[in-house]
Amino acid sequence: MSDSKVKRLGGLPETEEGDSDFLRARRRRVLILSALPFVLVASFVVSLLVGALGPIGPGLPIGPDGGNVRMSFGDALGALLGHEGDWPADYGTIFWDVRIPRAILAGLVGACLACSGTAMQAVFRNPMADPFIVGVSSGASLGAVVASLSGLAGIAVIGTMLSPTLAFLAALMTVFLVYSMGSVRGRVYVDTLLLSGVAVAAFLGAIVSFLIYFAGQEYHRIIFWLLGSLSLATWGSVAVLAVAVGIGTVCVFLYSRDLNALLLGEETAHNLGANPEALKTLMLVMAAVMASAAVAFTGVIGFVGLIVPHMVRLVVGADHRILVPSATLTGAIFLIWADTIARTVISPIELPVGIITALCGGPFFLYLLRRTRSRGEPA
Amino acid sequence: MRLEIEGLSFSYGDKAVLKDISLEVRGGESMGLMGPNGSGKTTLLRCIMNYLAPQEGSIGVDGRPLDSLSPAELARTFAVVPQSSATDFTFTSYDIVMMGRIPHLGSRLSAVSKADAVAVRKAMERTNTWQFAGRVFAGLSGGERQRVIVARAIAQQPQALLLDEPTVYLDISGQIEVMDLIRGLNRGEGITVISVLHDINLASRYCDRIALLSNGRLEAVGTPAEVITAETIQSIYGVDVSVRKDPYTGAVYVIPMSTTAPAHRHGTRVHVLCGGGTGGPLMRALHDHGFSVSAGVLNVLDSDYEVAREMRVQVVAEAPFASIGPDSHARNLKLMSESAAVVVSAFPVGPGNFLNLEAARAALEAGQSVFLVGAGSTAIDFMGGKADAMVRGLIISGAVVVTDVEELLMRLPSRRGSS
Repeated sequence: MSDSKVKRLGGLPETEEGDSDFLRARRRRVLILSALPFVLVASFVVSLLVGALGPIGPGLPIGPDGGNVRMSFGDALGALLGHEGDWPADYGTIFWDVRIPRAILAGLVGACLACSGTAMQAVFRNPMADPFIVGVSSGASLGAVVASLSGLAGIAVIGTMLSPTLAFLAALMTVFLVYSMGSVRGRVYVDTLLLSGVAVAAFLGAIVSFLIYFAGQEYHRIIFWLLGSLSLATWGSVAVLAVAVGIGTVCVFLYSRDLNALLLGEETAHNLGANPEALKTLMLVMAAVMASAAVAFTGVIGFVGLIVPHMVRLVVGADHRILVPSATLTGAIFLIWADTIARTVISPIELPVGIITALCGGPFFLYLLRRTRSRGEPA
Repeated sequence: MRLEIEGLSFSYGDKAVLKDISLEVRGGESMGLMGPNGSGKTTLLRCIMNYLAPQEGSIGVDGRPLDSLSPAELARTFAVVPQSSATDFTFTSYDIVMMGRIPHLGSRLSAVSKADAVAVRKAMERTNTWQFAGRVFAGLSGGERQRVIVARAIAQQPQALLLDEPTVYLDISGQIEVMDLIRGLNRGEGITVISVLHDINLASRYCDRIALLSNGRLEAVGTPAEVITAETIQSIYGVDVSVRKDPYTGAVYVIPMSTTAPAHRHGTRVHVLCGGGTGGPLMRALHDHGFSVSAGVLNVLDSDYEVAREMRVQVVAEAPFASIGPDSHARNLKLMSESAAVVVSAFPVGPGNFLNLEAARAALEAGQSVFLVGAGSTAIDFMGGKADAMVRGLIISGAVVVTDVEELLMRLPSRRGSS
């Protein structure tokens, strides 16, 4: 700091050494990005190999044979490699139909939330924005609670699809409502949007609370959903989310240069050839679709969409061309680990993953906040 | 780049902000947009950059209609430097300048090339910002940030720079630094510059021509010397200014006069005999306390004469460096005889203006009140004691010595009567 100040005052030309220092730091960011896919694969494999099988939690079906099925490390490895081992025949099925889709879903949901959060933070030009800022979580919660209380949840095929479908639709409708509140004649006013989001979320939250108050025996089930869990993972949900992640992340990545420009203000973005109004709308739609899809299948998993983009930005910088893919991959890695912890830390009891993300995320976030403030940099 | 604005009108809803503006900006010139707050300067700039679409009129860029340009073409034509750029995000200065290359990158997937990196480095070296290329933009000082933004505009390789009060948050060194930088681009590269400037003196110094807006209308266009006159500034800003010419830069500059009118004008007239800069503060204080002021005999180019002219008070003038002639002396005596009191400042006295002391004696002999401000002597006696002796004579004949302006105000006739 003081060194560079001396150079500035002296007006001396920067040495070649200084240049390469700074450019090396930039190359390091790209290196970090290229390492992330390997970390993701490793995390995925590790998460497959540890923990109890099957969804276990209050109000949920228990494992086969009427008890919690446990699998040793070696058994799991054998199943992964396709060997027939001396374990019950159900184990293979559980491995392929429960553990693998669950780990993939964790990765996809993490990616959705982190990418969505990155886009929202850029649109709102505020590093404190998250995917749920425009009412996604409150809308989805209402949809899911209504589905649970409709009495149709028990019915075989409809029941499993009803909750995600209603949650997804309600989330998108809420976003649309908030969006129309925050825009006038095709112009999006992000500050109005933000306040509309807060107001609508509070309103819907009150309805959800009201419904829960009279929910009776569905109470546990609803709370479990509201806290977020990946225990209902199926290949179907994986397929739906894969589509959302595919479209959403590619779209956000393609507009990463425009997002950079947008962060300097809409006038500057316009001057650099972007269309700020179209950009804000497109990013809001993509972020909302990704967040709604994630929430629909897993409930409200907080903090991922806020913390991950923030944390990754501290390491790789704010340039969205690097930030968007880095945050997306880190989100996937983070949620795979969070879910692995959620289902193993007090095994055989499984914690809702939202508790883990908030427990890890909250203090870490405070730490980052204090650190950046004490360095005098913007948070 | 040449810009033709024809019959441009813009309104936000019902509120008309720009009314029938026609203005031509020539290629390579530096045009300043000036006017009071709310006169539509920034709106005009936003119309030029096609950020706002005017309801009526047209803007042509080198003969092409503005709206026929694609966003990328537009971005290669104009680069905008806003008032200030702040972001809560941890972009490095290098990131920010590299954003200027976006319009040159082509498809969304194309990567940054060596040429882009070179353009960024050159722009940063030119603006003296390369040394903090790796530092977080938000952590820089206001002046450093603005230089980084100018570097971004340079990296954009535009044909014209649009500046919206680029120096409003900068200290004086930052202002000159940024404006000199921009002038260098204008003179060196022939980049057309259109800048909204609040500071009249900055505009006068850095603009070839100035367009003066008021209430959404274009009131005047021309060189700074043509546009910046006491009359136009008074009619558009409602402020009395003194317009002068800077001998160093040759640019005209303005000095605002007090905008506070005296609480009440009692109309009592006081005649001031002064010179050599001793009368200015005196005349201003008298004026501010509601007196009418007249002065004499002053040489043109004497700073007291300039002050008297700016205050638009009656003044008997003599040619520069000339001795007081019988004509002006007579007019001085006449003006003095009609005033309620005569005030004599402690001015330097030489053969050329000795008649002013004679005039004071004449006033005493006619029974008028005469006040000597200061120690009761001249500032400098260039007449080997004759002037000082004359002053002593005035005191003996009944002139009142007051130590300063405050005491003078206490003892002037209408002051006693009115308060």
